[in-house]
Amino acid sequence: MVANGKKRSREYDLELVEETACLKDEIGIKSSGSDNRNIYDDGRSQKLTADEIYDLKSDSSKAADIVETLITNSNTFHNKTEFSQDKYLKKKEKKYFEYIQILKPNLRIISEILYKLEPTKVQGIRIDTLSQIVTMANLCCEGSHLLYDSGSNGLVAAALLNAIGDSNTGRLVHMHPGNMSQKQALLAMNYSPEQYNKCVSVNVYSALRQYYQGCDTNSSEKILEVGESNSLKRKGESVPEECTKIPKISETLNLNIEKTENRYTQEPKKPKWHFDNIEASNIISNKMDSLIIACKEDPQNIFMELSKFVKPGRPFVVYYPVAEPLQNLYVSLKSQSNVAALKLTCSWMRNYQILPERTHPEVLMNGSSGFLLTGYILK
Amino acid sequence: MSFRGYKEKIEDGDVVILYLSNNLHAIEVCTEIKNKKGEMVENVYQTTFGALKVKNLIGIEYGSRVELSKGWGHVIQPTPELWSLTLPHRTQIIYTPDISMILLQLDLVPGSIVVEAGTGSGSLTHALIRRVKPNGHVYTFDFHDHRAKLAQEEFESHGIADYVTVQHRDVLEKGFSEQVTGRADAVFLDLPKPWDGVPHAVDAIKAQGGRFCSFSPCIEQVQRTCEALTQHGFQDISTMEVLQTELKVSRRTVPVRDLTFLKHKSCDNPVEEKPSSDKSYVVGAWPATTPGHTGYLTVATLPPAFLKRKLPVTEAENGKSVSTEIEMKSDSDSEEDKLVVDESVL
Ligand SMILES: C[S@@+](CC[C@H](N)C(=O)[O-])C[C@H]1O[C@@H](n2cnc3c(N)ncnc32)[C@H](O)[C@@H]1O
Repeated sequence: MVANGKKRSREYDLELVEETACLKDEIGIKSSGSDNRNIYDDGRSQKLTADEIYDLKSDSSKAADIVETLITNSNTFHNKTEFSQDKYLKKKEKKYFEYIQILKPNLRIISEILYKLEPTKVQGIRIDTLSQIVTMANLCCEGSHLLYDSGSNGLVAAALLNAIGDSNTGRLVHMHPGNMSQKQALLAMNYSPEQYNKCVSVNVYSALRQYYQGCDTNSSEKILEVGESNSLKRKGESVPEECTKIPKISETLNLNIEKTENRYTQEPKKPKWHFDNIEASNIISNKMDSLIIACKEDPQNIFMELSKFVKPGRPFVVYYPVAEPLQNLYVSLKSQSNVAALKLTCSWMRNYQILPERTHPEVLMNGSSGFLLTGYILK
Repeated sequence: MSFRGYKEKIEDGDVVILYLSNNLHAIEVCTEIKNKKGEMVENVYQTTFGALKVKNLIGIEYGSRVELSKGWGHVIQPTPELWSLTLPHRTQIIYTPDISMILLQLDLVPGSIVVEAGTGSGSLTHALIRRVKPNGHVYTFDFHDHRAKLAQEEFESHGIADYVTVQHRDVLEKGFSEQVTGRADAVFLDLPKPWDGVPHAVDAIKAQGGRFCSFSPCIEQVQRTCEALTQHGFQDISTMEVLQTELKVSRRTVPVRDLTFLKHKSCDNPVEEKPSSDKSYVVGAWPATTPGHTGYLTVATLPPAFLKRKLPVTEAENGKSVSTEIEMKSDSDSEEDKLVVDESVL
């Protein structure tokens, strides 16, 4: 990265590099101490003032120059042990970093970034818990899977779709309570339109209303036809556009408008969600191969309603950030005895620093992973 | 054919999971089995709730209740998770919490090509196959002749043999077979000296780069593996541990002791030791003993071949590559405000 502009208005240009250098090699440290007996923690080891360092940072274009100046002006650097010099340089390298690497998005990277940025925006679903949601639901390239998600910003849908793949028969019905589903993580995965379209996102009210009451039964044939030609037309369009096109008006209002439109005019253009609702209702009426719930609401009612769509012998996974709602659900499922292998679990994960003679668990670990209630639906 | 895809009804030759008062049993559905004398007799499965005539399972729907002579149970189609809990152990095996993380860390999706050594009891292999099928493939190796053979038979009877190639081979001595050279998206090692497998992993991974993971119980193994990974140009090397605890949920009624009455003089009440009432909670209790260690997972990325030569080895150790713009932005923003002389904290 090459900096231009000064101070706060600084911008960076990217330049493709043939080779990267690391600070340690560029600077070349001559001497180091054997322990820290001569190092005082008095905040005076750096002769440069904060202002001077600030100027240095805005004037220099190379990290090595900045750090070399810092070291030259440090009373203590050369007394530090090799290990702590190493640590110092690593830290500075991060601070004045010059290189970035551009990677293709994948589930591992996306889930780590979203969690790091703000765990509450993904309902606190950590990578280990996310990985268990996918396996415990027995997700694979085929089958129809039902997800209710009201708070993970599309992370759970992204993970499930990842396991379904792009060229197989698997389907995901993604129910959510809002007008639009949250899709940040789903979009971040850069799925091909084929893979993305394996997921039907629907408002839970509209989809269930469609399932139980139907909306336009007498002309449903025509609607399906239109749906097909419509989806053909849309093929070229990019995915994000499609979802912003969904009108933000309340779902019921829309339904009414659609109904009247259909009755009085022959206008074939209907919003995508109209067809999505019909499709979702068709898929769930053929029963599902798994049920996954990651909700903000109390999971009890949602589970009771949606588990009706799950085939006997198939798994379910309910995620919740704290244990109590799942404990209550556990007790009521136990008393109904229509599930098997019911388990409430919690995952723990710890990262390690592995360095010669400096191996230890990382100083900070993440203490919250949420809880999973898993089991299998019985007949 | 139980692991090939979702099934509705039990057929001859399936493996079914019998769920019986919180216990799981894997049963192979065949009408007759050999008895001790080598004669074919009717297959009857004995449980604590009496006998189950296995023949009667054929044709019934998964998830159904089945009658036993002294009670009943339910039958479920096996998943790799249920299989890990019920499979015949021929070695130590890896369980679902680690398996889940391995699948995610290896970036596996349908279509991926993955190399595994050793096969062991096939616990992980079943989960690998489910993830990469139908167009991906698992190449699994074990230097134990019998284990390799049993695994192959198992995959055949489970209906998943076309997604996996089992080979009897010492992969540390001979490397993975030519069949996989330059073709793998990911390599997984669960054997005593994974560091010796690192150069072979490099040979197996595609020119576009790929992921590596090894599972080792001991930290010394991890240290040597990390050194080998660094030397062979891997990036983003990281080691982690994943453990899962099962909470015991129950309704608990706890006594309530009233102390407020002591504030007032009262004639008829001397010292009442009995609690005054009780209160009911649903609790999730942490078990007295829970898994404390399974193994360390060490994961790393092999960069694309065009990058490998250009990256000095020391850079790889540094690991952390900034992965997207989001992260980049948050980094530089916060540094801007925190520009202070912070030598003291070093
Ligand atoms: C702990 S078991 C693997 C268990 C397996 N991950 C599972 O989940 O079932 C280790 C296996 O590695 C095999 N093994 C050890 N060294 C090997 C080598 N050099 N080449 C091939 N296989 C090896 C052993 O025979 C053993 O079956």
